Amino acid sequence: MRTIALAGNPNTGKTSLFNTLTKSYEYVGNWSGVTVEKKVGLLRNKQGQLVDLPGIYSLHPVSSDEGVAANFLLTESPDAVLNIIDSSQLERNFYLTVQLLEYNKPFLIGLNMIDVAKARGIHVDTDKLSDLLQVPVLPIVARTGQGTNQMLSHLSEPNLPVSQFQISYGSIVEQAITACIRALPQQEELPNPRWLSLQFLENNPVVIDKLTSIMSIEPLRAIYEQAEESLRASGEGLHLPQFIRSVRMGFIRQLMEQCVDIKQSEAHTLTERIDAIITHKWLGLPIFLAFMFLLFKLTFDWFGQPLSDILDGFIGGPISDLVNQALTAVGASEFTHALIVDGIIAGVGGVLVFVPQIFMLFFLISLVEDSGYMARVTLVMDRVMEMVGLNGKAFIPFIIGFGCNVPAVMAARSIEQPKERLVTTLLTPLMSCSARLPVYSLFAGAFFISNKAVVVFSLYLLGIVMALVLAKLFTHLFYTGEKSIFVIEIPPYRMPQARSLLRNTWEKGKGFIRKAGTFILGGSVVIWFLSYAGPSGFGVDMDHSFLAWIGGLFAPILAPLGFGTWQAGASLLTGFMAKEVVVSTMNIIYHTPDMSGLETQIKHAFSPLQAYSFMAFILLYVPCLATVGVIRKETASMRWTLFSIAYGLVLAYTVSVLIYQIGLWIGLT
Amino acid sequence: MNSQAIVNLASVAPGSTVRIHSCADLHILVSRRLLDLGITIGSEIHMKRKAPFGGPITCESNGQMFGIRKQEAKKIEVILV
Repeated sequence: MRTIALAGNPNTGKTSLFNTLTKSYEYVGNWSGVTVEKKVGLLRNKQGQLVDLPGIYSLHPVSSDEGVAANFLLTESPDAVLNIIDSSQLERNFYLTVQLLEYNKPFLIGLNMIDVAKARGIHVDTDKLSDLLQVPVLPIVARTGQGTNQMLSHLSEPNLPVSQFQISYGSIVEQAITACIRALPQQEELPNPRWLSLQFLENNPVVIDKLTSIMSIEPLRAIYEQAEESLRASGEGLHLPQFIRSVRMGFIRQLMEQCVDIKQSEAHTLTERIDAIITHKWLGLPIFLAFMFLLFKLTFDWFGQPLSDILDGFIGGPISDLVNQALTAVGASEFTHALIVDGIIAGVGGVLVFVPQIFMLFFLISLVEDSGYMARVTLVMDRVMEMVGLNGKAFIPFIIGFGCNVPAVMAARSIEQPKERLVTTLLTPLMSCSARLPVYSLFAGAFFISNKAVVVFSLYLLGIVMALVLAKLFTHLFYTGEKSIFVIEIPPYRMPQARSLLRNTWEKGKGFIRKAGTFILGGSVVIWFLSYAGPSGFGVDMDHSFLAWIGGLFAPILAPLGFGTWQAGASLLTGFMAKEVVVSTMNIIYHTPDMSGLETQIKHAFSPLQAYSFMAFILLYVPCLATVGVIRKETASMRWTLFSIAYGLVLAYTVSVLIYQIGLWIGLT
Repeated sequence: MNSQAIVNLASVAPGSTVRIHSCADLHILVSRRLLDLGITIGSEIHMKRKAPFGGPITCESNGQMFGIRKQEAKKIEVILV
């Protein structure tokens, strides 16, 4: 089957198009660096495979997500290239186009956001462009799907026109290219030799690595040096890579003159008006904090919570009763009855009631992602982040982390400097994810009912503050002369579309429901069994169960934190699997079918101060299993992975001891 | 042509338009990123706003908005147009 690479500058709508052409539901958003790994999908008409690549400005990668794209073109040799261009940023986008055209594969250009370009007075003569580049050019609007059917049929044609594109780089460079081509090994799996030579002469690190691995690089180096020397002698005043770029830019300028008519490049007036407030000199930061607070108000107070309560009543009432009756009617054994009611319904149902709150949270995060606010947040937060040695872009993984830490850790890929990226990766798990939400909701509901949102907000802030403090420490310890840098592309605002907003929310929230059916279900069964069985047999009093014994091992260590009970120890241990399981475990341990019952039980077991200390511990203690897995993958280091667990435990312990002991000392209970 | 004063980008008032004269001292990654956005010597830049306490500045060039740090902006020499 034909493999088509989907390549283009960041934030030009590649993933939107990918979703339309393949019926996929990959993650989209309005900032640069949403897609950080390649995604493969089958075309809707099953005529080929489309590979969505992270956005790149050129084939010379800076950050690791860009490396993914360059590497793909170099080693996987796709059968065709689909290049997406932002029609309102033609000149900049064409630079990559030229490099991709030189790849000399079957080629198709999609001029995306042609509607936005038109509205801004930019008119593109697509026929002329197609003529000059000798490849098909299709205007599309990926967000609405306009023009995508035509694109699909183009992509399925048996013989896509192969790009024969070539620019003449002048005698010095052309000689060097010819010499390089001669020096290159004759290997079928290597891409076009002229393209490869040019990329080598441009110092593309991915190409140099690849060539070093298959041949002696010395002859090529000599050609490079000689060309550099000839350039100097000719008085050009540019280094070889700069010279190659300048030739391409010259070509692009000519192309623009012939095919593009810019009447009046009208600035984005609405975007400007919104930005005047949102990124206002003094209001920017307060607006961001107010937005965060609103997010918690909506999730915990106004909207999510009431819905959760209704669901709780439903699961704890009619559903439990129905299951109870059914079990009695079929004459289920006491064991089965206990397993289903005390284990599964208590454990899984106890977590499922939080679905409305979690979806609310994901909806609001999707809103930030789709609108264009994300890039503004990095701008507003950069000064603070700079003080701790990171840059504003670290806030992108942080915000995604409020939903789920796993994609958040991956989002750190778009950070350019390796050490900065490492520290951001390590600190992202301190962002309070949706899995921790049920714990807060339960405890805050039991102890701090009148100011629930404030208490929960304080925990999220605690996570951010700890991340900043540790960033200062880590960057101080790990950096060796690496300078923090920050350049952010700010996209125009786009009105989020209801369809994509709901889809984004669903795609994220679905993971939670899936977790309920797998991890949480399995965990609940195991936990229930451990609480049902003990050294003296089955059906033991829970205080003499295996679970009590295991949890009891941790109780003495946890005593200075204010929750030295076997119950707390057992739930923290199980929480490593997935943090929601803490609530499942408590539901099972305290034998309650619904949240209000559990709240009453918990009020007996904890004091408000102990509850707060416990919540802080849950926030900080360890990344969940899935997050540990992705940290391992992203850092490619067992040492850093273990470090992420270890520092979490030390931090959580320290913070909770301080909260509890200082709280006691000033007379809180 | 009358010779115009060369100033650094960070010192330019919001609302003014300038042309890049030189950016030789810029950190290599910053100048690479700016180049990625099509911003290089000769590019026209419109200064939008500055964040307080030495925070990043927001500019626009060729319809593209971007933010960079003040200390990097100081290394970009510009001419008022």
